[in-house]
Amino acid sequence: MRRALLVLALTLAGCARPDSGDERAVALVMKTRNNPFFIEMERAARAAAEKRGVKLLVSAAEDDADIERQVEILETYLVRKVGAIAVTPCGSKAVVPFVKRANRARVPVLAVDTRIDAETLVRFNAHVETFIGSDNFEGGRLAGEYLGRLLGGSGEVAVIEGLAGHETGDARKNGFLKGIGEYKGIQVVASQTGEWDQEKSYNVAQSILLAHPKVRGIFCANDRMAMGALSFVDKAGSTYKDQVKIVGFDASDDAREAIKAGRPLVASVAQFPSEMGRLAVERALLVMDRPGSLPGDIPTKVELVHR
Amino acid sequence: VNRPGTSLIARSRSLIALFALMGVFGALAPKFFTHTNLENVIEQAARNAIVAAGMTCVILTGGIDLSVGSVLALSGICAGLIMDRGWWAPMGIWVAVLAGATCGLVNGSLVTFGRLPPFIATLGMMSAARGLALLVSAGQPVSGFSPTFVSLWHGRVAGVPAPLIVMFAVYLAIWWLLERTAFGLHVYALGGNEQAAWLAGVDTRRTTLAVYGLSGALAGLSAILVTARLNTAQPTAGATAELEAIAACVIGGTSLSGGEGKIGGTLIGALIMSVLMNGLNLLDVSTYTQKVIIGLVIVLAVYVDRLMHGKAK
Repeated sequence: MRRALLVLALTLAGCARPDSGDERAVALVMKTRNNPFFIEMERAARAAAEKRGVKLLVSAAEDDADIERQVEILETYLVRKVGAIAVTPCGSKAVVPFVKRANRARVPVLAVDTRIDAETLVRFNAHVETFIGSDNFEGGRLAGEYLGRLLGGSGEVAVIEGLAGHETGDARKNGFLKGIGEYKGIQVVASQTGEWDQEKSYNVAQSILLAHPKVRGIFCANDRMAMGALSFVDKAGSTYKDQVKIVGFDASDDAREAIKAGRPLVASVAQFPSEMGRLAVERALLVMDRPGSLPGDIPTKVELVHR
Repeated sequence: VNRPGTSLIARSRSLIALFALMGVFGALAPKFFTHTNLENVIEQAARNAIVAAGMTCVILTGGIDLSVGSVLALSGICAGLIMDRGWWAPMGIWVAVLAGATCGLVNGSLVTFGRLPPFIATLGMMSAARGLALLVSAGQPVSGFSPTFVSLWHGRVAGVPAPLIVMFAVYLAIWWLLERTAFGLHVYALGGNEQAAWLAGVDTRRTTLAVYGLSGALAGLSAILVTARLNTAQPTAGATAELEAIAACVIGGTSLSGGEGKIGGTLIGALIMSVLMNGLNLLDVSTYTQKVIIGLVIVLAVYVDRLMHGKAK
C-alpha cells in the first residue's frame, strides 16, 4: 500500500499545481462537463480571465443532479478563500446552506445559468450577489409561439420537461405554455420529465407517442432531450417522422446540424453560455471589490434558431 | 469461534496509508491542514462511513447490500414528507430509520426465507426503493425544514460538529456489537462457513435478518444527515452510495467473501476516500480524473491485501 501511495503521490505531484494566491481568484463551479453548453461557458470564462489577468478555477460535479458532490467542491473553495464563487447550482434550494456558509466567510456568490431559490434564501437569511442567465421564460415563449405557428394553430402537442423542481426547466415549460396558449386550437396533452437526459427522453417520447398518437409537436426543455426524442421520432421505419415536429432549447451544435439537415427537429432556442461565462468572470471581479454593487438580475439574450 | 480479521500490523497498514495520503496532500495543498478543511473531510466522510458500517456487517456474513443508496433516498423522502407536514423533527429521524430498517428486513427475508442470492434480492430492492422514492415525492425534492433539524448537520455539541458525533456513536455501537456480543460471533461465523455455523447452533436466519435490517437502518440514519446538510430531501440522493460503501469496506480490509474484516478498517477506508476526494478537489484535479484515481486506489488496496495474505500463509 505504501508503495502504491508513493506512485499515487508522484502522479498527483505531476498533475497538480500548488495553490497560491487565491485571494483574487474566481472559482466557477458548473453542473457538469458532459454538456457542450458548459464547455462553451468554461471556454469563454477562461478567455475573459486571461484577458483580465485573473486566476480562474473551474470545476464541476459529475452530473446535473449531483448536488452533494457539488457542495463538497464548493466547500473546498471556501477553505481556499477564493475572491468570489460563480456557481451553476445542481439544486436551486439545496445549495442554499452553502451560500449561507459563504456569506459568513465573506466570499461573494454569483448564480449563473440556474437561479437559486429566493424563498429558501430568505429563510436562511442568505445572500447571492446576482443571477447571470438566460431569460428562460422568454425562450420558452418564443419556442411555443413558433411551434404554434408551424402547426397552423391546431393539433396536439407534448412537453418533455427538465428535472423536477429545477427553476430553469419550470421557467422554460411555463414560457412555452404561455407561447402556445396564444393558439386556442392547440392542446397540450402530455407533459413528462426527461430528467435532462438524452436516453430518458427517448423513452419518454416513445411512451408519449404511444399514448397520444395524434401528437404533432414536442417541446423539449433542453437539446440533450430534444436529441433523445429526435432519435425515437426519426429512427428507421418510424411513422412519426413526417408527422412530429420537435423544438429544443440550447441550440447545441448537434441540434443546429439536425435543424439544417431538415430532420424533425425544426427549431431550438439559442442561449449564450459564452456570455454567461464572460459575465461571470467580469462581474465576479467587480463584486470582489464592491460587494452589493450588482443588480439582482443580469439577463443574457435568447434567440430562436430555425430553418 | 474467533473473529478473524486482519492482524494488528495489517490493520495499521490502512492507517499508515491514510496518514501517508494526508501527508502528501498536506505538502501539495497548503490549505489541507486547516481546521475548516479537516472538518470538511470528516463531515464528507460521515455519510459514507455510516452506510459502510452496515455494509461491513452484511459483507462479513458473506452477503452484499446493493440497495443502500436507494433506501437512503426513500428514507430521506419519507422523513422529509412527514416533517413537511409539520411533524416534530425527532419523529422524522425515527421515520427515516424505521423506513430504512423495514427495507433492510425485506432484503433479509428475501435472502433467508426466499433463498435468493443477496445480490439479486438487494438489486431488486435497489430498483424498487428508488422507484418508491420517486413515486411518493412525485420526483420533486422536498425542502424547507425547521432550524432544529438543519442543525443536525450544521450544529455543534461542545465545539464538535454534529455529524462527527453521530458517526463515532455508530462506530462505537457496531464495534461493540461485533466484538463484544454473541451476535458479533455469529456474524463472523456465518461468513466463515454458513453450514458449520448452523451446525454449531448459530441461528443463521435471525443473524442474516438482523444484518440486513441494520444496514437498512443505517442507510436511513445517513439519509437524515444528507437531508439536514442540504436542507432538502431528494429522490435522487445516494445515487452511488452502495459502490462508495463497498469501496470503503474493501479499502479497509474487509473480504468480500465474508468472515474477515474489522469495523475500524471500514472507518479508515471511508476516511481515505474522503481525504482523496477532498485533496484532489483542493488541487483542482477534475472530477473525471478523480474517478480514475479512486478506481486505482480500490484495486491497489485489495491487491496489496492479497499479496500480504499470500505471504502470511
